[in-house]
Amino acid sequence: MHMRFDVVVVGAGPAGAAAAYAAASGGLKVLLVERGRGAGSKQVYGGKVYSHYLEEALGDLKGAPIERWVGKERLSIVDDAGRTATLEYEGGSTRAFTAHLTKLAAWLVDRAASAGAVFVDEVRVDSLRRDPSGRFSGVEAGGELVEADVIIDAEGVNRLLLERAGLVERASTRDLALGVKEVVRIGEKEVEERFGLDKGEGLSWILVGGVTGGLPGGAFVYTNKDTVSLGLVLYVDAAARAIEEPVHSMIEKLRTHPALHRYWADGDVVEYAAKLTPESGYRYMPRRLVADGLMVAGDAAGMLLNLGYTFRGVDYAVYSGYMAGRAAIAARDRGGPTEENLRELYEEPLRRSRPFRDLWRLRGVERAMEGGDRYFRRYPALMGAALRSMFELGESTPSIYEALRGAAEESGISIIGALVDALMMARSI
Amino acid sequence: MSETAGLQRIRVEDLLQRDSWDVDPRPHIRLNAEKCAGCPTKPCTRMCPAGCYVEAGGSIVFSYEGCLECGTCRVVCPMEAIEWDYPVSGRGIQYRTA
Ligand SMILES: Cc1cc2nc3c(=O)[nH]c(=O)nc-3n(C[C@H](O)[C@H](O)[C@H](O)COP(=O)(O)OP(=O)(O)OC[C@H]3O[C@@H](n4cnc5c(N)ncnc54)[C@H](O)[C@@H]3O)c2cc1C
Ligand code: SF4
Ligand code: SF4
Repeated sequence: MHMRFDVVVVGAGPAGAAAAYAAASGGLKVLLVERGRGAGSKQVYGGKVYSHYLEEALGDLKGAPIERWVGKERLSIVDDAGRTATLEYEGGSTRAFTAHLTKLAAWLVDRAASAGAVFVDEVRVDSLRRDPSGRFSGVEAGGELVEADVIIDAEGVNRLLLERAGLVERASTRDLALGVKEVVRIGEKEVEERFGLDKGEGLSWILVGGVTGGLPGGAFVYTNKDTVSLGLVLYVDAAARAIEEPVHSMIEKLRTHPALHRYWADGDVVEYAAKLTPESGYRYMPRRLVADGLMVAGDAAGMLLNLGYTFRGVDYAVYSGYMAGRAAIAARDRGGPTEENLRELYEEPLRRSRPFRDLWRLRGVERAMEGGDRYFRRYPALMGAALRSMFELGESTPSIYEALRGAAEESGISIIGALVDALMMARSI
Repeated sequence: MSETAGLQRIRVEDLLQRDSWDVDPRPHIRLNAEKCAGCPTKPCTRMCPAGCYVEAGGSIVFSYEGCLECGTCRVVCPMEAIEWDYPVSGRGIQYRTA
């Protein structure tokens, strides 16, 4: 069998589906290839999507499988003893929604198909093909070849195809974080009652410190309609060296955490999932995002911002995928998808874009997050000790200064050191 | 489930039962177990979220069936003992709400 398309997109995640949608909307003949069964069946993420870039790319979110619009944001620092300090933000205007990525990806693929893209599932692409001149000219799957003028690689974080093509090195443990997640069904009324939410309102909650046993990373909780998504993100390098029990046991420790389990008590664990994510999108970025006949988008391109308290993966993937699809159209009108054209039409505009500039600007915060012990064990300990002596009063009442000084002694951490760290962090931005 | 049952940790075998599967009889991951014997730290045993790698008397018992296709073992293995790919034909884990 011999097939030929203007564009072949590999991977029907947010990046690939947006790329196929954009290219097909411009009248190109597009094939979108996915290894999973049906759209979305291999998708895993935490739980919250910022809507801005999705609306920009798609025009609207009509029919999108939104679970809840996030009206409440929480950030908690937990010490090893389970003492917790929480910052809660509400009353603002909502810019993000919770969703199951399995369903959101399927919806995006529907949009691409409605625009005219051909979607094929259950096909695992084995390699990117080059013609004798070195130009990328098609993809090979199960011994069959599909030819294309241009390939958009949106294979996600595990870049098997780009590695095989010699375009990126095998990722190292220092580049990646592992996420594990459980979805617990508790019922719609319980979601709203237990988290103090209005009808249809969603919660996004990030926790650091004792929830990972002091390992670099954090925990997340997102509320869906009648379920809660909870999970852990661990930086692979640090975890591989210091983790004391298996990760599947650590996520169960989170679910049964004395301070947390009441939120989903009596719930049914309906799904268990795992996926890798780049630790820092900026560092994960291939040296070049284009080659003759090839563009890279989404996680594979390192288009993801991971600040610990904020995850912009899905919206950035849609953004870069959409730009790649548009570039395919523009390249056709300019003499074809040569490396030079794709650089000018995709890579350079992407590097000038807001998301990319933010990745560059915030790379220092990402690095600080890897700083390990200080942020994930010692500062939570300092905080726990200080708040305990401020709030758990007996005979005497300490001033804030006394509480901090006592906490510094108790936890063995210098307050000046902590202040210097905070300043360094601020400066790195 | 009662309150106390909620506090009981679920074993990984039972967690994986909550998922939907269409396991391929052909393994998508192959292990060169000889290399494992000389592997000092065996990070796969702690880092695989599906508990696919189990240490037994210094060697590794590996089963691909519960694999969540995350790719972690591929990067943490210090001995390059793992030949890794995704399953073909849509086989493997079938996520619904992740
Ligand atoms: C634990 C965790 C929590 C996260 N939380 C959030 C969050 O709350 N909000 C957020 O915005 N982002 C989050 N992210 C990031 C987000 O998941 C990714 O940035 C996003 O999914 C990237 O989209 P993508 O299309 O580039 O890749 P993916 O979503 O990984 O899609 C790649 C697709 O390609 C397919 N594929 C791969 N190889 C082949 C092949 N050879 N042949 C055919 N098909 C193939 C895969 O099956 C998959 O469907 C999180 C990530 C993790 C790991
Ligand atoms: S890390 Fe690699 S070599 Fe070591 S035990 Fe695991 S699979 Fe074997
Ligand atoms: S890919 Fe992930 S789930 Fe599968 S065996 Fe490797 S570490 Fe375990």
